[in-house]
Parts: sequence; C-alpha cells; structure tokens
Amino acid sequence: MKQFSYYTYFPGCSSTEGTAAGYGQSIKEVGSPLGLALIELEDWNCCGSTPYGSTHELESLCIAARNLALAEKAKITVLDEKDTPVEKADLDLVTPCSCCYTTLNRANSIMRQYPDLKDKVNECLDAAGLNYKGRVKVRHLFEVVYTDIGLDFIKSKIVNPLNGLKVAAYYGCQLTRTEPAFDNPRNPQTLDQLITSLGGEPVPFPLKDRCCGSSLIIPEPDIALGLVQNILESAASNGAQCIVTLCPLCQTNLDAYQAMVNRKFKTDYHLPVLFFTQLIGLAIIPKSLPVYIPKYPLVPEYLGLHTNIVSPNPVLNHLFMTRFYAAQRS
Amino acid sequence: MGIKAYLMVKTKKTDGEDNRAIALKDLETMPEVEAAVPVLGEYDVIITVDTPAKAGLIAEKIESKGWLKNLRVLKVEPVQPNPFLDEVCSLPGGECVRWCMQCGMCSASCPNVNQMDYSPRKLIARIRAGRRYDVLSSNTMWICASCYLCTARCPKDVKITELMHSLERLSAQHGLLNKVVSTPAMYKAFVDSIKKNGRVHEIGIMMQFYLKTNPFAALQMLPVAMQLMIHRRVGIKPTKIKGLKQIKAILERAQALGGT
Repeated sequence: MKQFSYYTYFPGCSSTEGTAAGYGQSIKEVGSPLGLALIELEDWNCCGSTPYGSTHELESLCIAARNLALAEKAKITVLDEKDTPVEKADLDLVTPCSCCYTTLNRANSIMRQYPDLKDKVNECLDAAGLNYKGRVKVRHLFEVVYTDIGLDFIKSKIVNPLNGLKVAAYYGCQLTRTEPAFDNPRNPQTLDQLITSLGGEPVPFPLKDRCCGSSLIIPEPDIALGLVQNILESAASNGAQCIVTLCPLCQTNLDAYQAMVNRKFKTDYHLPVLFFTQLIGLAIIPKSLPVYIPKYPLVPEYLGLHTNIVSPNPVLNHLFMTRFYAAQRS
Repeated sequence: MGIKAYLMVKTKKTDGEDNRAIALKDLETMPEVEAAVPVLGEYDVIITVDTPAKAGLIAEKIESKGWLKNLRVLKVEPVQPNPFLDEVCSLPGGECVRWCMQCGMCSASCPNVNQMDYSPRKLIARIRAGRRYDVLSSNTMWICASCYLCTARCPKDVKITELMHSLERLSAQHGLLNKVVSTPAMYKAFVDSIKKNGRVHEIGIMMQFYLKTNPFAALQMLPVAMQLMIHRRVGIKPTKIKGLKQIKAILERAQALGGT
C-alpha cells in the first residue's frame, strides 16, 4: 500500500461549480486510488487570473498573495501508520487549472524579483491580519501526478487498459511555457507518456500546445473560434478519437464551442474532450461499461463524464468493444 | 535631459605593433566612457561620454596614454528625452524593452498576429520611438491571449506577455483604450465579480459583459449557454467566500498605497 502524499488543494473557480465541474468531480474520484490527499485550502479566493493582472498591478498581486498567505499558514493533522497524530505544514499548493498555476507562480516570482513590491503587498495583507514570507511552492496537478505519483504506479493500478484508444494530447499553453518549466516548452511529451502508459495511443498532434483563445472567446469570439478550429482540425486529421487536456478553460473552449465551430466553418468535428483525470479514472477505476449510443447525451454520472458536452460515448464504446473482443478471444 | 559627446580616437603603431585592441581595452575600463565601439576607416574607436564636463576629463586621460595618435570631438548633442520609454521601463516586465533586438520571433509565434494593429515586434519598436498614442490606443495587447509562446521563444528573454499586461494597465490609466475591441469590458466584469464575491461567477460575468457591450451578441451565444446549463456546468447562484471583508480591507489598503 502506497503512503498518501499530502497537498494543499486550490481547485480554482471553474473546477468547483463552474464550467469545469466535471474536472473537480473526477479529481475527487481519482485522488484516493492514486494516493493523493488533496486538502482544500480554507476559504480560498479567485487567483485573479489574467484580467485582474491586466487592469490593476498591486491589487492583483494582493488577491493572489492572500491565497499564498493562507496556504503558508495552513496546517493539518494526520494519522500515521501507528495511528499517532502528526502535524504537517509547508505543503505544496496544488491547482488543477493552468491559469491559476500561472497567476500564483507569477505573483511568487514578481515578489521574489521586486522586494519593494513584496513589502507593499505585505502591508496590504496586514489589513486582513495576514502575512506572506514567500515559502509556498505552487504546482500543477498534472505535474504532481507525473513526478510525485509516477507513471509506474499508475500502470500498476490499471484495471481497464485503454486498448489503443487514439488520443490527441493537448497541453494548452500556460502550463509548459511559464516558469518553472517542468516539461520541454517547445515540444512537451509528458502527457503523451501518460497516455501510452494507460494503454492508449497518442496521435501525432502538431498543435498540441497552440493557444485555444482562452478568455478571448467571450469578447472576440471570431478570433478565438478560428484558433479552436485549427486545433480541432489538427487532432481530427491525425485520426484522434478524443482530445485530452489539463486546463479547464481549454476544455470549455474545445468542447462547448465545438458545435459553434462546426456551424461557422461548415465542418463536422465530433471530438470528445476529456480531462486527464477522467482518462486516468476510466483506466484505473473498476466499473462495468455498458454500450452507449454514439452522439446521444446519455452517459454515466461518474468521473464527471455527464458534464462533457460533446458526448464521450464513442470513447466508452471503444473501451467496451475492445474488452468484449479480448474476452471472447480468451 | 542629458548631453552626450562623441569622441573619435586614432591609435598609432608602436614598433609595427597594432595598438587597437589595447586601446579598446583601456577605454572600456574607464568609468566615464558609456560605450566604446571599434570602427573602420580614418579613426579606430568611437566613444560616448554623457556630459561635456566628463568629456574634458576623459580627453585628458586618453591623451596621457602612449597609444594615442589623434583625438577628435565628433559631435556634442542633447539626448532626446523619451518619457514614454522610461515609463514603460519602470513597469515590471517593461525593462526588457531596451534589450529587444527586433528579430521578430514574437510576431512569428503569435497566434493572433494577423488581427493586431501592430505585431509585437512593431509595438516594441514604437515604444522605443516614444509613440505613446500609437502604442496605447492599438488593439495589440487586448488581442493577446496570454499564451506565452513569444516569451518562451524570445532569444533575448524579453517578457512580452508581461509587457502586454503592463501596456493594458497603462492604456487604461491614460484613457487611451482601444474603441474596437471589447476585451476591457470583459476584464472589468471579471474584476467586479471577484470584488463582489471573492470568486468568479461565470454567468454573472457574461451577463454584465453583454449588457455593457452588445446584448444582441448574447443571442449568438445562447446555444452554448443552453448546452452548459443542460450539462450542469453553470452555477446559477454566485458563491461568496467568508473572507470577503478581508478582501475588501486588502483592496482598500492597496488603493490607499496608490497601487494601480
């Protein structure tokens, strides 16, 4: 039995009850089989994201730093193997959202780079009785799964291998490109490796880290829809059966706006867009899958799959059929 | 506002040995010399000194050197003040504008460059030319999707995305917001939502944004909103955090400190 690894968890606004509710649900279901103990940060607030940083500099740093200060202060008590309570502090702050990851890391690095700004931020935090020393390390959930949990451990947990499911690994932009980089920013490979170890087949995907348009989809939909179309075309033309991503915003843009892209560009994409935690869940959580009607929005309510707008039924059917044939052969 | 003097230095040959390298080395170690550039032609090195008083001092110093053959003042000119460049350079991420080498890798990488008034490279060139109105009223920074590809690829480590965010703030401060793009309205709705609830309420942002800009555009987005609603991806009621008072206190203090 693997020991649990403890982290402070910063879910981000969209993964709690917003547009990426399925992400949050799948993380909850996948967490304990992977040995991840994610303890939600008490009373966290929005990180501020790009819009706040683009309108107010000091305020945006303060908004982000409040979370960092709370995380620095957070302490939890856990029971070890001999049932004695142990206090844990200075846990890493883990977020599943690439935007939160970038924003919190940016606040950290700016405060390190400009000490006078840090003093100013602390002066503001003082109004709320908080203080930030700069000790918290911000990490992305995918990085934690890849480096701390490890692909070997995930492999040992697999009960339903993906059986050659063709997956396009979409990294989004901010995770690999911003400091501290944990993967090659020019040609990231880690998500492809995860797909391979789950039994899937990563397809060649040249636009794997091209921008999806992010929040521009609201103010400038014409620009952003063009970017989404490029990505969908790249994945579909390389024979992908689904796209896997690790950012709530990427998932929303590729999934919820797929019908709009189809209308605007007269295309016919039907690519389910899954979160990487949903894909891991499909492989490691034992569950019998019935046959589903393709394109029909009737999916099981586990792993948050019911929140996917482009129906993930073809993916589930692939898993069911390949397993069915394998059982017949044996 | 400073005054710059440009001096031209000619070295002499001692025993058939070329003294140009030694001269350059000596000149570079002098603290008054801002730059020493080797040139071809009648003279060997051009140096820049920042005030005429220092120029006299440096001329005496150079004349005492053994390798000097001839020293001439090329010109003395006032340095054009560039307050806009100084302003940009004082912002976090802005100081890198000075060392951009205009290679154009940022413009080649940008996914939205064909929609921009000026490409990122041209924007930096205009900042250095001091064109405040051109830069701040352009749509470039508002169309930037913050994908960081330019920053990741820049050979001189210019933080272009960071610069775009700084320019967005400057443009709002100076009241030079671009009239065509509606990104500023969306950003404002986003910030208002954080101030009100502590967290982002996506539907609330959408409503505020479309009401402020173009309510008819909301009709176009209706199918997407319906789908999100059917798949239970929309929180109808905003979640308010408990520490809303803390947020308010922090922001008030930040505004009192004059932070923008």
